[in-house]
Amino acid sequence: MRIRKLLYETALILLASVLVGFSSHIPLIKRYFQGEFRHGFVSLEKFPSMVYITLPEAEELFQERSSIFIDSRTEDAYNEGHIVGAVNIPYEKFNEFFRDSIFPLEQTLVVYCDGTECKSSTAVAKLLYERGFRNIKIFFGGWAEWIAHNLPVSEGNDTK
Amino acid sequence: MIRNKYVLYFFRIIVGGVFIWAGVLKIIDPLGFAQSIANYRLFPAWMAFFLALVIPWIELICGVLLILGLFPRTSALVLSLFLFAFIVLIWISILRGLDIDCGCFGSFSRRVDYTLILVDGILFGMSTILFLSSVRKKV
Repeated sequence: MRIRKLLYETALILLASVLVGFSSHIPLIKRYFQGEFRHGFVSLEKFPSMVYITLPEAEELFQERSSIFIDSRTEDAYNEGHIVGAVNIPYEKFNEFFRDSIFPLEQTLVVYCDGTECKSSTAVAKLLYERGFRNIKIFFGGWAEWIAHNLPVSEGNDTK
Repeated sequence: MIRNKYVLYFFRIIVGGVFIWAGVLKIIDPLGFAQSIANYRLFPAWMAFFLALVIPWIELICGVLLILGLFPRTSALVLSLFLFAFIVLIWISILRGLDIDCGCFGSFSRRVDYTLILVDGILFGMSTILFLSSVRKKV
């Protein structure tokens, strides 16, 4: 009887939390069902200038050659193949690979990882934001989408 | 088992207060919390999103209930389960070598490490004592 009461009260608390949680974030839920937040969750309050970009936008930035592409995958994955000119900064070894002097703070950076299911591009983008960079774009289609469209790639470390 | 009502009240204030604070900080930045959940790499993105909308309210509601003394057994039990889950999650993350923020207190979050397990362990001890003491009181 006591366990039943415990379960009943727990269910009540959970139900109240779901109702209040969902009803207080209806605009966010709408945005989710419109397709946002499938690739990562960037808080616009904390990272106002960080944006997700699609393949055509990434390709355009690549053609303009004014942006630096950051590959946030592991060293092995990077060495096997990456977007031409991309710099490898694996999320797990961010401090080791990141050097403050590499890029000026106003530089536009395009961060990518494996594809839509990976999280390291968003994580690295946030770390770069914390280092003072403000022109950061996250290419959420990532490596998978880039090679699927036969866009320029290279192997090994072409930044050394 | 601790029976002193002042000690138990102190525990209620500490555990309830910590969860109210944690809940409020997450409620004001749901996307930041969703990303913190996603960083643990144990949940799909959709689940991280919806958990981020609900978990902070469970923390806030249980924290308030605990301090007010309403549903004390249930709120202490839920918070104990939460803390146990956090400890397991942090431990797994350390073993997997993840260098991430815990996401416990929104932008005030700290890196996942063993001292965090110690802090959560102390809170877990307090909330479990609160749960057990309220069970005994009813006998």
